[in-house]
Amino acid sequence: MTTETQEPQRREVARPPFYRDVRVIRVVGQILAVLAVVGIGFWLARNLISNMNRLGISTSFDFLFGPTNTAIPYNDEFNPRSPIWQMVRVGVKNTFLAAFFGIILASVMGLVVGISRLSENWLVARLATFYVEFFRNIPPLVIIIFFGAAVFTNGPFPIFSESWEINFPATDNNLLIINNDKWGIPGFTQIDDLLLFYIILGIGFVVGILAWRWRTRVFEQTGQPHHRVLWFIGIIVGFAIVAFFALGQPFHMSWPVISENRRRIDGGFIVNWGFMSVTIALGLYTASHIGEIIRGSILAVPYGQSEAANAVALSASQRYRYVVLPQAMRIALPPTLNQYLNLVKNTSLGTAVGYAELTALTKTSVGNGRPAFQSFIIVMGVYLVFSLTISLVLNFVNRRMQLVSR
Amino acid sequence: MTTTAPAPPQQTPVDWVRKNLFKNWWSGLISVILVPLIGYMAYRSLRFFFVTGQWDAVRVNLKLFMKGTFPNMQIWRLIAQMMIFALAFGIGVGTNSAASQDRAEDAGLGYERGSILQTLARMWSLVAFISLLLFFATTDDVGNFINPFLVVGGALVMAAIGYQAHRFPRRIRNVGWLLTATFLVIGFQVVSGFDAGGWVPLAIIFGGVAYGAVPVERFDSAWLRFALRLIAIAVVVLIVQAVYRAVDSPGIGWDKWSGLHLTLMVSAIAIVLAFPLGLLLALARRSTLPALRIMATVYIEVIRGVPLITLLFMGQFILGFLLPGGTVLSAITRAIAVMTLFSAAYIAEIVRGGLQALDKGQNEAGQALGMAPPPIMRRIILPQALTAVIPAMVGQFISLFKDSSLLSIIAILEFLGVRKIIHAQADFRSVAFAETLIFVAIGYWAFAFAMSRESQRLERRLRVTR
Repeated sequence: MTTETQEPQRREVARPPFYRDVRVIRVVGQILAVLAVVGIGFWLARNLISNMNRLGISTSFDFLFGPTNTAIPYNDEFNPRSPIWQMVRVGVKNTFLAAFFGIILASVMGLVVGISRLSENWLVARLATFYVEFFRNIPPLVIIIFFGAAVFTNGPFPIFSESWEINFPATDNNLLIINNDKWGIPGFTQIDDLLLFYIILGIGFVVGILAWRWRTRVFEQTGQPHHRVLWFIGIIVGFAIVAFFALGQPFHMSWPVISENRRRIDGGFIVNWGFMSVTIALGLYTASHIGEIIRGSILAVPYGQSEAANAVALSASQRYRYVVLPQAMRIALPPTLNQYLNLVKNTSLGTAVGYAELTALTKTSVGNGRPAFQSFIIVMGVYLVFSLTISLVLNFVNRRMQLVSR
Repeated sequence: MTTTAPAPPQQTPVDWVRKNLFKNWWSGLISVILVPLIGYMAYRSLRFFFVTGQWDAVRVNLKLFMKGTFPNMQIWRLIAQMMIFALAFGIGVGTNSAASQDRAEDAGLGYERGSILQTLARMWSLVAFISLLLFFATTDDVGNFINPFLVVGGALVMAAIGYQAHRFPRRIRNVGWLLTATFLVIGFQVVSGFDAGGWVPLAIIFGGVAYGAVPVERFDSAWLRFALRLIAIAVVVLIVQAVYRAVDSPGIGWDKWSGLHLTLMVSAIAIVLAFPLGLLLALARRSTLPALRIMATVYIEVIRGVPLITLLFMGQFILGFLLPGGTVLSAITRAIAVMTLFSAAYIAEIVRGGLQALDKGQNEAGQALGMAPPPIMRRIILPQALTAVIPAMVGQFISLFKDSSLLSIIAILEFLGVRKIIHAQADFRSVAFAETLIFVAIGYWAFAFAMSRESQRLERRLRVTR
């Protein structure tokens, strides 16, 4: 018996009336939503401009080229007559410095804490748990102010109440001066323009990455030890040395020297108490979060991996170094990058201890009568660039990880 | 027949030390280094806490830390609020426990109700903080006109009374939740005042109840059902409004709040207001309509990409300008608005996570039943997604609670900002910075720690019921 495939009847599909047609509703709904948002935005902008005009506040960005008229604390090189955008640049640099060193501290401390929480030693595990539960549940601002107001300046913990000097071995040069509210460490004094030097360093960085990839390829194909970290660092240092002498020594080392009245530090690089408060406090705070991430990631590595490592007779440290940690790092990286992002944003709390980072400087300049709206738009833009960069890196990392883990 | 497990081998303290502190040579080495180090640190801390610390700065100003510049003659409002919140808390815990019992019975399982002591033990950090407060209060020589022990005791009694809600018969289980919500609103308004404009929250709650409670199932016509529900809501709203208009007694608005009270309230208000906004943002970001999706994404990413403090500065300097000329908002109102807009973006991401984690089959099952998209969302997707993200929401609340300390930077006297008043006093001009900071840190820690414990417990329970 054959079944005849019946020609489906072509029926005129009656379209519903337009007010119930999904396609129409979708388009109209979106147009309405966009109109509503644009309308509200337009209304707010009009209010803003009319209010600012009414109060005689400038609505342009011209103020960026006017003089700053205030000194930046602990920054003798900054000329108060230089324009506002120079001040913004200094602020961005200080934000970046605090974030950079905070991230280093948080990563090291977080790794130690995360591993310690899983230690078989009861004391170590308890101490790490205490650390995590303590720092994670206190606002970072309180920690920053604690370091700023109670540890480094006044209060019952005057750790640095008198100045110490630590000499570089066998010379008269000071390696570290600890004074009341600032530290002096060796730094560089710039003599010539450093642009060319930085360009050469950038080329060295690119070459270093190429060498890294080449060594990785050699390792994967032949199994020879790759030493890629050594190659990378060696190439950059090599480029730096060559550039230093080829450009006729564009900067020289400067050692910190304490002044006669032991109040001031001349030369070297001066680390002030605001910087230390922000960096140490945020480092410790973020470390408690990173520690939890590391711990979770280590626990997320299947136990079979550890057993396999035992089976091939790796020692406990080898098991961690070559089997567990590399896999845990892959799991931990995305949330850790998120924590780095939080740390960058939290450096804005340096305002509370007078650290001259972007937000604090902008707040001062707004207090001196610069237009608030434009100033803070710039600040928000800078942070947004930081965040979006880290998000891009995160997406990139996620893609790489997915490829690797199939 | 039951078999008992063999008793574990007796472990002597020496065994314990050997196993946990000296398992191998490097573990032993670390222990040997750590023990004196921890001992020394503990000695120094205890010395600071009991001998050298100038705790007068905290003790004398205890009331300032708690309520800040709140008018002294109106303190009864704060105490009444505490009592009513304790009652609401007790009812909520009791109803929740009874609801768990219902579920266990439905599943044919046994259920053992935890005691109030267990609840207190879970929140040991809060108990410790309150004990610290009481300790300071007893040694306070500036005089209290209200006995703090009575206040704490009264709150405990109110919580215990509220907990009796677990005795409600199962039919009226939801009355427990209704009472909780009502008392939360009333407790809030005991301080902020029952003025004529304050009818909105209760009208929303009772309107929602009316919407669900009207027996409309017997009518076939959808229009009739809709009209009946509308009428019920309108009647309830009008009644609530009339009651508020009749009472109309103004209280102390949030512009005059400060101290720990403000800290707790600001974070609670911001999260409550932010939730609907965040939910809408999450739905918009998951929407298939590109315009909605793009706008929601831009909003969320911009807000999440900048620090809260820059937004707060924006709020202080700009928010007034964004409104028609002459509008004046107080600093606290602006701060609450900013914190609401800020946490809405984070809540949206949390809810989005919950929506994404939900199996696609749920949606398809709803479609297979012939349901329209809105009911699928409301009856199938959202209940599951929102339940799953409760722990993350508690986490967001904790982080908002901690972030509320930033208000001190914009000169609002919340828990951390009160220090400015204290260190402006002649006695504490440039001393005892560490003492006040440590006290504030303990306060924040106690609340955040208790909440994070509670959220971990919720997370475990949700995972079990999955």
